[in-house]
This record gives sequence, structure tokens and C-alpha cells, in this order.
Amino acid sequence: MKRARWIALGIALMMILAACTSDDGTDTTAADDGTATTEDVDLSQGADLTFHMVTHADDGVFWSVVKRGAEDAAAAMGVTLVWSPSFNDPEKQVQDIEAAIAAGTDGLAVSLASPEAVGPAAQAAADAGIPLYTINSGVLQYKGLGATTHVGQTEVVAGNGAGEFFNSLGATKVLCARQEQGNIGLEERCQGLEETFNGEVVSEFIGEDVDPTGQEATISSLLLADESIDGILGTGPNVAVRAVEACVTAGRTCSIGGFDISTDIINLIESGDIAFTVDQQQYLQGYLPIVLLFLEVTNLNTAGGGLPILTGPGFVTTANVGEVKALVDAGTR
Amino acid sequence: MTAPLLEMKNISKRYGNIIALTDITTYVNSGEVTCILGDNGAGKSSLIKILAGAHQQSEGRLFVEGEEVMFDSPRDALERGIATVYQDLAVVPLMSVWRNFFLGSEPTKSFGPIRWIDTEAASRIAKEEMAKMGIDIRDTEQAVGTLSGGERQSVAIARAAYFGAKVLILDEPTSALGVRQSGVVLRYIIEAKHRGLGVIFITHNPNHAWPVGDRFLILNRGRSMGDFKKDEITRDELIMMMAGGAELEELTKELESASAGDEKLADMAEEFAEELEELEERAEHPD
Amino acid sequence: MSATESPPLENAALEEAAYGDERLAYRGPLLRLLTRPEIGALLGAAVIWVYFWLVSDVFGQAAGAANYLDVAATLGIMAVAVSLLMIGGEFDLSAGAMTGATGMLVILLVIPPGEFGGAGLSLWVAIPLTLAFALGVGWFNGTVVEKTGLLSFIVTLSTFFILIGAKLGFAKLFTAKVIVEGLDEGSGYDFWVKIFGAKWTRNDHIFDGRDTLFGFLMVIGFAAVFFGMLELSHTRRERFNATGLIVAAAGIAGALYGVWGLRHGFGFVVGASTDTVGSNWLYAAALALGVIVAAVGIGVWRFERVSDRGSFSLSGTSLRNIAIALGVILFGSFVAITLDSSSEDIVGFMLTVQGLRAIVFGFGAIVGVTLPVLVARKEGKRSPITKFVVMTGTSLVIVGLAFLIQSEATSRKFRAEVFAVLLLIALIFFVAGLMPLLFQGREAAHPAADRLGKMLAALGIGLFLGAVTIRLLYMTSEEAAATQAVFNYRISILWFIVFAVAASLVLMRTKFGNWTFAVGGNKKAAREVGVPAARTKTILFMTVSVAAFLVGMLLAFRLNSVQANVGNGQEFLYIIAAVVGGNLLSGGYGSAAGGALGALIMAMSFQGIPFAGWNSDWRFLFVGVILLLAVLVNNFVRKKAEEAE
Ligand SMILES: Nc1ncnc2c1ncn2[C@@H]1O[C@H](COP(=O)(O)OP(=O)(O)O)[C@@H](O)[C@H]1O
Ligand SMILES: [Mg+2]
Repeated sequence: MKRARWIALGIALMMILAACTSDDGTDTTAADDGTATTEDVDLSQGADLTFHMVTHADDGVFWSVVKRGAEDAAAAMGVTLVWSPSFNDPEKQVQDIEAAIAAGTDGLAVSLASPEAVGPAAQAAADAGIPLYTINSGVLQYKGLGATTHVGQTEVVAGNGAGEFFNSLGATKVLCARQEQGNIGLEERCQGLEETFNGEVVSEFIGEDVDPTGQEATISSLLLADESIDGILGTGPNVAVRAVEACVTAGRTCSIGGFDISTDIINLIESGDIAFTVDQQQYLQGYLPIVLLFLEVTNLNTAGGGLPILTGPGFVTTANVGEVKALVDAGTR
Repeated sequence: MTAPLLEMKNISKRYGNIIALTDITTYVNSGEVTCILGDNGAGKSSLIKILAGAHQQSEGRLFVEGEEVMFDSPRDALERGIATVYQDLAVVPLMSVWRNFFLGSEPTKSFGPIRWIDTEAASRIAKEEMAKMGIDIRDTEQAVGTLSGGERQSVAIARAAYFGAKVLILDEPTSALGVRQSGVVLRYIIEAKHRGLGVIFITHNPNHAWPVGDRFLILNRGRSMGDFKKDEITRDELIMMMAGGAELEELTKELESASAGDEKLADMAEEFAEELEELEERAEHPD
Repeated sequence: MSATESPPLENAALEEAAYGDERLAYRGPLLRLLTRPEIGALLGAAVIWVYFWLVSDVFGQAAGAANYLDVAATLGIMAVAVSLLMIGGEFDLSAGAMTGATGMLVILLVIPPGEFGGAGLSLWVAIPLTLAFALGVGWFNGTVVEKTGLLSFIVTLSTFFILIGAKLGFAKLFTAKVIVEGLDEGSGYDFWVKIFGAKWTRNDHIFDGRDTLFGFLMVIGFAAVFFGMLELSHTRRERFNATGLIVAAAGIAGALYGVWGLRHGFGFVVGASTDTVGSNWLYAAALALGVIVAAVGIGVWRFERVSDRGSFSLSGTSLRNIAIALGVILFGSFVAITLDSSSEDIVGFMLTVQGLRAIVFGFGAIVGVTLPVLVARKEGKRSPITKFVVMTGTSLVIVGLAFLIQSEATSRKFRAEVFAVLLLIALIFFVAGLMPLLFQGREAAHPAADRLGKMLAALGIGLFLGAVTIRLLYMTSEEAAATQAVFNYRISILWFIVFAVAASLVLMRTKFGNWTFAVGGNKKAAREVGVPAARTKTILFMTVSVAAFLVGMLLAFRLNSVQANVGNGQEFLYIIAAVVGGNLLSGGYGSAAGGALGALIMAMSFQGIPFAGWNSDWRFLFVGVILLLAVLVNNFVRKKAEEAE
């Protein structure tokens, strides 16, 4: 009987995934239902399983939701989660993966922001027969490494969505404002924007999130230097928030879009200062790998069918911002 | 008799397991000069650092005018009127002459609660005090690090002389000085003594110590070899004790054996032997 | 900040004591200026400003200033504090994380209690508590460093990790998010937002007489600096000659007439500008002639006539240098004329035809002007006539360059503004060559003249600053109508200035400042002469935390929310700014003003890149080059300064 419930859960999750890959943010409630159903499951099977999630995470808004997803899933499955963030330090990530293998982990989820550096270590895990999933970044590499599948969003596709959105807003020249330098994911967002956007795109690094006022000043200086920019896509939530004030300073009305979710960006979408944000629903990137690992270990399920499982893009706009807001306050979006 | 100005009783000092001083007792009266003599490593600097508050003794007691004191920092000693010229001079090379001169005791002007350094006075006094030492500083804004060794030493001495209210301690002040400046320092010491200061003068040159000293404490390997009043010892005895007769003899022999094939060394050894003889003679029959 | 120090001396003997020493080579005003630690940074800031002013339209305007000052302010507050600590021989790697920590703490203290809430305190309680926390962290850093004798690098690195962990942990514990927000819910917000969150919106401050006042102050300021320099460099007459005064008055009248006439043509001074020549030439000539006549008049009035003009002669090296200068300048001009000004074709890595042309010409111009000035300086010691000839030649070359730029440049800025500036520089060079030919240069200090000269120079610089400030703060109604952008100056700029000035005064003029230099330069020595070294260092650490507190408040009141990672890693920028500003990494040497200037340089570089339209990918390359140059220049200047002693 219990096994049947687990299979039901698995099916439910697959349906969620399908929903995510196809469309907007209406699936959030479904994800929550998923969590709810796990509560009456007998957890004895997973009691002594330990899964490692080794990511390039920092302590920002985005990753805290991933972590929350992973924790919630671990609690629901009754497994132990080891969360190892590397703060964008590939070296540390490699060490953490090696440590996880040495500790005899039951399953591994790895983010591949630096595939060349981290890939070999991940591959070693897969070679050692440890179930491996890539999350967040690594959609191009997961197959080669022997990972079961990838859970994430492809940045280019997400950027494409933003491009279409700007087309519908009637923008002519969009500044793609990046908060990190040399981060391939952010560059791909801008690249995706360029592919579908009808006008011109300028892609610039505008300073890191640790210096919010500096970001604002840099965006406004870019606007002052180039009068034809009328749209700004922040490749992170904070950048979009900073862009609002920068546009006021530069005396311009711009359409502003962002990536990912934060309280601030939700409020500004609500007030109409920001048009949209591309949501990759990162809660799933934490939650799903744990569930998938659990199922692979306990039930030998392999999800995805050789294709990546996309968690986005979903869009938060004035239309759905109200509902999303409640979930953001709960820390799951 | 009133209590001595500065008195140390049974002072010992250990740096970890290194025993630098054992059981040293001496004193200085106001208007007197106590000389501390001894070879390198004898513990002279260690002793005066204790008196100056830069180090704390491991054992023993210190008295200022009969009152027992414990110096936690050089500031405590300075406040008691004890000023010190350290062997390493304690100057800050990148700072100007006047800033070094007044470091720690800057003259200030004030307006209400706001106080600032009176740079004009500081600069002038520094220049005047240096001039008294016969050193004509070009510009008190000059960084001390760019002064010559002797000039630098003069800055430290002039500073201590200016601030030493009761006791003036000098640790080998003449080591880097020319003949004239050495003379000036000795004259200074005598002047300070006449002004009623107690002076502690450290040197390994008995020829400098003898003319100015009233008491002589001789240190060897951290122990007192004797603490003499001037009338208890002769100049030559002092020189003999300082030189450590036995060691000098040994040195002479060593030189002789090493000089087998070296003319220069041989000459030197000969000179040494002569000097030794003369010393011994004089110590035995003081004139 | 402390360039003017000359309270009255009591009597002639003292003056003699303070000044007269035949072994001390007399150092002229420029050389004395060069020995200040922040001079490299000042020059650097000027060069970078000029550079971005040249390559971007907006950077040199109020919009640009508002932009980079905004960045410079918070960076600068920290850089000044970090400079003090660095002079005191220590580092604080927790400084960056502290800015975010104090900002977060104050918000956590005021947001209402609840399941996910804070302490619900009034800001009147929360702000002092946060300050106490900051002081506590500084005290902790200082005390641990002093008590253990460990490197501050290691100790504050631990504090850094503790802080970033605590920030994240507490944010999540209390609000379940990594961002805390809602400062405006605290009681007392209306008052405190004026202290930490106020801003001056330029658009709301209209002052139509602005440009007239600006021009007026600039002219007086220029005159004051000019006369000040004359006082500082020439020997006074025994008795002043009144006829000179009449000549000077006539000259000044002529110059003023010129300025008045140029009011609308002289873009550099009054902002408005035109490309037209014609009657403007008449006014320009009146101005130039007036300045020369006034200078000569003042010379006749106050200064000794020159006794020995020497004869014209150039040494072999000088001749060679001048030949090189002429060569490069001709080559640069030739390239500028030949290459197409509007071609944006790429000739090589990152370099367009335009860029190549600008670089070759700019290099030629700079070398072509610098070398002759150095020659004039060297030869002028012996022979004023040689100096005069070389300087006049240089000034003619500059005039030539000005016209070349005017005819070849495509942008209005170059044709009008740069043109006017170059002509002005040519005039200054000419006068600088002429005066030593007529009047005796000073070879010894003269306290009264030095005092007057310094006072005038300081007054002039004060007037310049005042004039610029007025231009930055006010708009004319025309401008207000034409502009859409909103220029905000945040109160952080004011805090920055207050903090930098206070730190400078404390450092240069108080016991504590003296002790700071001492503990950084030689801590053992400082302690031995009675400086409370441990206390001094602890207070320095606390100063840095208080600065971080200030920046944290500015941040929190501006954004109303603070994310847990804000400020992390910024400490390296503070340290870089301090080093760029001429502070010695190993302690014992530097200035607070240097730290402030370093921050300004960093801010101008960061913000200048987007203004100039460069790809931001090169941002750190640029910063690296600036850092390297700054360190080299500082090192060079310090060595020169020490040699000159
Ligand atoms: N800080 C210290 N730590 C350990 N040993 C020390 C220290 N200072 C001095 N010593 C040792 O104590 C002895 C006495 O040194 P010092 O007082 O400097 O001698 P002097 O001044 O007579 O030449 C020497 O053997 C020296 O190595
Ligand atoms: Mg010694």
C-alpha cells in the first residue's frame, strides 16, 4: 500500500514538472500539494539515507529558496540533507563533492556553474555508482557526466521569454544589466534576450549585489550616457529593483524586467514600477532533486527520459503578483 | 638621610627561560650619577627597561622617593618624572623631528573642549633643545629616518633631557656619537646632576663613566659584580673589572695562535698583550 | 587639508631659528606641495576627471558629479576610516561586512515583533544601540589584536566570517528571509530620515544668477591664486613702488573687461558657449593683455627687479629634450591631420582609428609640453632668459595645438571648451616664463610673504570650490525646463566631507593623530615614550566600526531594506582606496585626505567607464591599472620628497 502511495507521489511530481516546463506560475499550489501529500507517507525507508547538495550557492535571496526547497523535501522524505554552498568558489565545490563521495553519500545533486572545474569531480561520483543530478546550471553537461537528469531552467530559454515580453511592452533598446562578471548563466540570459528581442540589446556588468547603491549609480550613468535605452532587464532581482530608482534619476520612463523573485521586486511589480520578473521557481530546484534521488535509490526510478526537467521560466506580472506574494512571504517562491 | 630618588632591590628578570638579571640592588640619589657598566649582553638594557616601565621585573621591588611603585607601562614611569633614552632610541623614522621630540607629551592649545597640538611651539622648542646639544637641525619637519645616526641619537637625548623631571636614564647614549657630541652628552649628564636630577648612565666605556659617575654598578652575565661609590674604587680597577682581566688574557692567546701566518693579526695580538700588562700593573699599583 | 599653517611668529630671532639655515636648500612653493602624501592622489583624481571629461559628454556635468559623488561618499567614509587604521599599522577586514550588519541590525530592532518580526523599538533607542554594537565590535577587534599580538589581518578575518554568518543566520531566524526590510515602520523615522536619508534635489533649487556668481568667484579665485603664487616665488622690495599699483589696476580693469565681454563666449568659465569667433577675439586679447599687464604691474609694485638675467644657453640634454618634444608633437599633429576623424574602423585590439588618433595626438601633446617645462625649470635656475624663451615657445606650441584641435575636432566640447582651456593654459605658461625674467626669484623663506602667499592661494582654492559647489547645487530655470533627469545629492556626501575633514584635522593636529602615526611607524618606540599604544589602536578600530555604522545607517535609510550579503567583500575596495590615496600599506605614513581622494578616484573610474560607453568587462582591468599607477606615483613622490629634504 505504502509503495503505491509513493508511486502516486512520483506521478504527481512528474505532472508538476510537465506543468513547469510548459507555462507560467500557476503551478505553485500544485507544488505545495506535493509537499502536503508526503506528510502521511511512512518514512522508514529513507530514514538512514543521506543526500548531498553541493552547489555554487551564496547566501542571497535566490539560493535561500533552493535550500528551503531541499530542506522541505528532505523533511518530507525523512532523509538527511547535507547542504554545501561554495559561494562561487569552484575549488571548494570540488572539495565538497570529494568529501561527499568519501562520506559515502547516497546521492548527489550538483550545480555546474563552472563545468570545467567541477565536472570531473561530479563524473567521478557518477562513475562510483552514486546517483547524480545536476541542478540550476549544467544542462549541457549533465549527460556527459552520467547524471540521471538536470533540474533547472535553461538560461537561454528564460532570456527568450524576457525578449518576447519586452517586444510586447514596445521597448526599442534594452540594457541587459548583469550583477556578476564572467557568470555564464547571466550572459546566457542576455543572449536569450538578444535572440528574441526585436530591438537592440546592450549587455553590461553593473556592479555586484553587495554594493546596491553602486549598482544604482552605474545604471543611471549608463542611461545618462545613452539616451536611446528604454528598457532594462536585470539578470537578478536586486538589479531590477535598483533600476527603478536609476530611471527616476536619469529622468526616463523605462520598462523594467527582472530575473527571479524577491520581496522588493514583488512589491514593485505590484506598484507597477517593474513590469515582470522571470521566475525559474528555484524551490523546485531544491525540492525535486531530493525527491528524485529518493525515488531513484528506493524505487530505481529515473525521471526525465534523458531530457532535462525545466523548472521555468514562469513569469510574475501584475496579473498574478498577488497570489505569488503570499508564497514569497512564506519563503517558498 | 632621605630615601634615594630611585631604588631597586633584588631585581631579577627572566624572559621565558632566559635569565637576564639576578638579584640586582642599587639606587640613585638626586644630584648623583649612577653608572651601570658591563659587557654586551650583561643585562644593562634589561635593567633600565624595568626602571623605565617598558618591562616588568620578575622579582624584586622598585622605590621612587621611598615609595614602592610598580610600573605597568613607560607612561607610568614618565609620570613619575623618569625619562629614558633607549639604546634603540625609540624614535619613529617616518615622523618629523618635532613630532618625535614631543611624542607622547605633545604641547597643546585649547579652545573650549577642543585641544590641538601647538605645532609652532613644538617645532621651536625642538629646534632650541637640539641647538643646546650643539646639533643644528636644518628643519624640524625633516623625517627622523633621514637624519644621521648621531643626529638621531641627539634627538632622543634632547627629548629625554627636556622631559626628565627627576630621573634621566641613558642607555649607551654615546655609542653612535662623534667625539664632540660625546663630550656634549657627558656635559649634559653633569648639568642634569647639578640641577638635582638623578642620572642613570649606561655604557661599556669606563672612560666615559669615570669622569661623571658617583656610583658604579658593574654587571656581568646578569649578576652584579659589585656596586661601588666613587671613593671605593679606582679608575683602573674599574677598567680592569670591566675588561674582565681573565677573558682579555684568553683573547690575547687566541689571537696569538690564530696569527701564525698573518702579520696584521700578529701585530694586533702584540698590542693586546701590552695593553693587558699595563692594565694589570696599574690595577696592582694605583697611582 | 592642512596646507596653511603659519600662526604668527613672535620675533625676528625666532623667524631666524625657524627658517634660516644655509644648509637647507630653499624649497619653492611647488616643491613643498609635492611632499604631502596625498599629492599623488590629488593629481590622479585631476587626471582621471579630465580624462573622462574629455571622452564623455555627461561626466563633466552636474549629472556626472551627482553620480560619482554618490558612489564616492559611502566608499569615502570607509576609506578615510580605513586610512587612519592603516596609518596606525592595522587592517580591518570586517569593515565591509559591518556596514551591512549595522544596517540590518537597526532594521531588526525597529520592525514590529511577531512570529517573523523584530524588537519593535523606537529608532531613538535602536540607533544608539546599533552604535553601541558597532563600538563593541571595534573594541573587540582592537582588544583581541592588542591582547594576543596576532595579526589584525587574521583577527578581523574571523570577525568578518562571524559577521557574515550572523547576518544571514539572524536575518533568517527573525524574518525567515535573507533580506530585512521596513525601517520606516519605526517610530522616530521622520526625524532620523532627515539625518541619514535626506537629499538635495537640484531640480528644486533654481538660481538664475548662478553663472554670474560662478564666473565672478572663479575670476577672483584665479586672481587670488595667481597673486599668491607671485608672493610665494618672488623676492619682496625693501619699499613698495606705488606706480606699479597703477599699472596693475589698469591691467586688472582690462582683464575684467575681457572676462565681461567673453561672458557668453567663454564656455569654460560660464558654461554657455559658442563656436563663433569674431568680437570674442577682441575680448580674449583684452583678457590676455590685462593679465600680463596686471602681473607686471604687481611685480613692479612689490618685487625686486631681477639682478642677473643670464644669457640664453641650452645644455646638450636640454637641447635634445626640446628636439624630442618638437618631434613627438609634430608627429602627433601629422597623425591627427592625416587620419580620418570620424572613422570608427578597428585598427587593432580594442582600438579604432579615432582612438589611435586620439592616443597618438594626446601623447604627443603631453610629452611635447611636459619636456620643455622641465627644461625651463632646470635651465631657469641659472638663466631666466632661457626660461622665458622656452616657456614662451611652449606657450606658442599650446596655442598651435588649440587651433589644430579647433579645426580638426568634430565634437563641440573640443572645439569650444578644450580650445578655451588651452588658450588659458598658454597664457599662464607665458606669464610664468615672463615674471622670472623681470623680477628676482626668491631663494630664501620670507615668513610674511609666505604667509600672505599661502593665504591667498588657500583663499583662491576655497573660492574655486565654492564656485563649483554653487554650480553643482543649483539649476537655472532654463536648465530646469530643459532637463528631465533628477539630480539628487544625498546627505551621504555631506557626511563624507564632514568625516574626511574631521579625520584630517584629528590626524594632523591632535595628540591622537600624532599617536596614530607613531603606533603605525614604530609601535615599540611609541609605547616606550609613553604613547598608550594599545588604546590608540583600539580607538582606531572603533573609528572604523563607527564609520561602518554611519554607512550602514545611510544604506538602511536609503533602501529601507538591507540584504544579508550587503557590504561583504567591500573592505578590499576601502583598502585599495586608502592605498591609491597614498597611504603606506605597512603603516606610519599617509593622510586622511588621501583616503578620501582615493575613494573619489575609484568612484570616478567605476562610474566613468559607463559614461564613456566602454564595455564594463574592462572595469577591473582599469581599476588594476589605476591601482598600479597610484602605487608607483606615490612611491616616486615619496622618494622625491625625502630626497628634497
Ligand atoms: N625580549 C627579550 N627576550 C629574550 N631575551 C632577551 C630579551 N631582551 C634581552 N634578552 C637577553 O637578555 C640578555 C641581556 O640583554 P641586554 O639587557 O640587552 O644586555 P646589554 O644591554 O647589557 O647588552 C641577553 O642575553 C639577551 O639576549
Ligand atoms: Mg644594551
